[in-house]
Amino acid sequence: MAVLMLVAVACSNNNAGNSASSDSPSSSAPASASAAPSESAPAVAEGPLAKYDPPIELTTVRHQNSGVKFMAGEDWDNNIYTRELAVQLGIKLKNNWVVDDLQFPKKLSVSMVAGDLPDFFEVNLQQLQLLVDAGQIADLTEVYDKYASDLTKRSIEESGGVKKDVSSFGGKLMAIPLDGGGRTDAQFLYIRNDWLKKVGLEPPKNMDDVIAIAKAFANDDPDGNGKKDTFGLSLDFNLFNGWSGVDGFFNGYHAYPFNPGGPNSTGLKLVFMKGADGQLAYADIQPEVKTALGKLQELYKAGAINPEFGVINGEKSAEIATSGKVGMTFGATFVPSWPLNDMVANDPNVDWGVYPLVSADDQPVKALSNGIVPTRYMVVNKKSEHPEALIKMLNFYLEVNYGESRDEEYHTHTEGDTVFNTFSYAPVQGGFASTNIDDGQAVIKALDSGDPSALTPTAKVYYDNILKYRGGDRGQWWYEKTFAKGSAYDLLFQYQEGDKFATNEFTGSPTDTMVSKASALRDLQVQTFTRIITGESLDSFDKFVENWKAQGGDAITKEVNDWYAQKHAQ
Amino acid sequence: MLWFRKRWKAELPFHMMALPSVVFVLVFCYGPMAGVSIAFQQFVPTSGLFGSEWIGLDNFQYLFSMPDTKRVIFNTVYIAVMKMIAGLVMPIFIALLLNEIGKKAFKRTVQTVIYMPHFLSWVILGGIVIDVLSPNYGLVGDLMDWFGLPRVFFLGNENWFPYILVSTDVWKEFGFGTIVFLAALTGINPALYESAVIDGAGRWKQTLYVTLPGILPIVVLMGTLSLGNVLNAGFDQVFNLYNPTVYSTGDILDTYVYRMGFENLQFGVATAVGLFKSAVSFVLISVSYLLAYRFANYRIF
Repeated sequence: MAVLMLVAVACSNNNAGNSASSDSPSSSAPASASAAPSESAPAVAEGPLAKYDPPIELTTVRHQNSGVKFMAGEDWDNNIYTRELAVQLGIKLKNNWVVDDLQFPKKLSVSMVAGDLPDFFEVNLQQLQLLVDAGQIADLTEVYDKYASDLTKRSIEESGGVKKDVSSFGGKLMAIPLDGGGRTDAQFLYIRNDWLKKVGLEPPKNMDDVIAIAKAFANDDPDGNGKKDTFGLSLDFNLFNGWSGVDGFFNGYHAYPFNPGGPNSTGLKLVFMKGADGQLAYADIQPEVKTALGKLQELYKAGAINPEFGVINGEKSAEIATSGKVGMTFGATFVPSWPLNDMVANDPNVDWGVYPLVSADDQPVKALSNGIVPTRYMVVNKKSEHPEALIKMLNFYLEVNYGESRDEEYHTHTEGDTVFNTFSYAPVQGGFASTNIDDGQAVIKALDSGDPSALTPTAKVYYDNILKYRGGDRGQWWYEKTFAKGSAYDLLFQYQEGDKFATNEFTGSPTDTMVSKASALRDLQVQTFTRIITGESLDSFDKFVENWKAQGGDAITKEVNDWYAQKHAQ
Repeated sequence: MLWFRKRWKAELPFHMMALPSVVFVLVFCYGPMAGVSIAFQQFVPTSGLFGSEWIGLDNFQYLFSMPDTKRVIFNTVYIAVMKMIAGLVMPIFIALLLNEIGKKAFKRTVQTVIYMPHFLSWVILGGIVIDVLSPNYGLVGDLMDWFGLPRVFFLGNENWFPYILVSTDVWKEFGFGTIVFLAALTGINPALYESAVIDGAGRWKQTLYVTLPGILPIVVLMGTLSLGNVLNAGFDQVFNLYNPTVYSTGDILDTYVYRMGFENLQFGVATAVGLFKSAVSFVLISVSYLLAYRFANYRIF
């Protein structure tokens, strides 16, 4: 459970709209995934899991967050993965350095400058582009074809091959994508059911209902303390976020803007949708956005949005919501685990429900999902003598976590009440985007039939904890709302079945103009949106569109379309 | 010659004692100055300091062509100058008041309490300030309510924001400054006060004609030193307090460049800004030093 928690906490950091838990192997292979590997084959020297004899030594660098714990006597250089990789694959790992998550990109940049890059290491999309341009990383096309196990290929090529596409440059595979492929950033509507009852309203069927509920939550004293001290809709200065963002609100009006406003956001994750003319256009400047902004303004005027939203960050908005001041928020799958679970665990009267997005009209609603593009990649130094070792280690990781020889010790280790996420020690972690959805569906079936025997060990944990919750342990509430029937992942499954996703068409790395202009354009956007919500005339949206285009937006749009044409010419 | 050798021998231990700090300064202050060259490069980490392409002043041109640069420089200077003045006047004022207090224990307590915030980082103080100034839940809002004043959204209001920056900065640092001036006050020769009393000077006149002239050199020194900060409006503070609604008045050079450059790996531009700030500070410090020498006859070196 800690895994999802961790991911959730990571998501709580401002603009974590993307990527949520798709990369977490907490989720394990689908129960039906016996289609797994053919690579339990004997150790032929060339095999996907063949042992190096004599052993080889590889260098890497690691980053850690405060959630990583080690058992007594273990550390980054001595744990189940370093030992087993040495024994089973003949690979001795050496960590040149281990730093905090936040420092990692900077420290890696320093290593780049110093020309002191290890054999293999993790990068983000921008660094990947940089290294490809500099010709400092190895072409993995051949070793991938030759060494990747079936399981590995299935992971890298899932979701229609987006992950592999983004990692390829000029037809050459230059990196191994570690996450992406998933839809976990799609949004839902979280509503206080107890408040709904209090104000006598039903769950929303369309956006007008959402607005009516938000207003009622602000004005009809849903907490019954006789004071007008509640808000209808949670919002903070990020505007777009997996917690408390209004991405889903815009989606209800068939608008798909996404450009988080916090001081830490890059302004580089822009969404481009195909227009009627077949060209890609920036989603945030479409007329539907203006309509939705008008509705947010209406909510603000009615007192349904915290007047301080332009000043507070995600942690603060979570604090306000969990102290019982807010009755509704849009958010991604992780919201039950963070921040809502603690609140529900501590107060038996609180009842948060999760609902699918609703539409403003008779057109079906589509949830924007950007998480399909990986954000983390593994690359191999061009100077490394064993580029295939990375593929082999990924083979190993996926085999012991998802394959036939899976062993929970490689995923988590439990000592008393403490759970160690052993998977996080692995030098290369991959996974399948669909595992959480699949696990959730399997859990629902098992709950219906009362027979958990077909569940994977991970799904069994969810199953057990849902039963605990139903038995009265409110601390396990979030399992119910994340995996059981009608939960976030069940709704995500329904989105998927009903093809209710709106997908960013732009999956490339940031273009030149984006890198130089995106930050200024983000400032322009977030200021305009914030001002409109707080009461400035809606006409300033048109001026924003003009300015956006003039100050680099047109150039960005052209670059994006060039990229698109080039990609589809291949 | 003999005299020189003798003196050298006598002073050798002192030179040895100074050596480590000289080495430190060379390694950590002068060595990294080579990095200044990044300001003139299309810097790519993978190519390193010497492999990146030289582009002359393009980074500076880019910096000054950005739409908000002028406004941001104005904000920086405006906020920094206000901070410098308030940060000088307030500690002097408090030091003079404390100096008049006879009770040692009370004086020390006050000194310690006002000194405290100096040790806290803006990450922590930022959170406190945001809470205290919140119009919905904040202490200040409640107080204003009590006095029948309308609640003001200090951190979300462009007009208020710069002054909030100045006042919270003074609140954090005035205790520290006070200690410096208190030290200067103890250095004044008591005989001067005695003769002033004989001449019939009261408390106020003593302050005006003995105390203030007595600490003037320190005041000039502190003022001179702080002039170098005219482009340092305090990244930590602004970064932890600002938000998109107050960019127009609260955004300073450092936060602007942070948003424009660091997240997008624009090392060249960031270095150009650093160099620009250093150059301006260097000129200002030189000028203020000359002025201090001429008008207050004060020499730092």
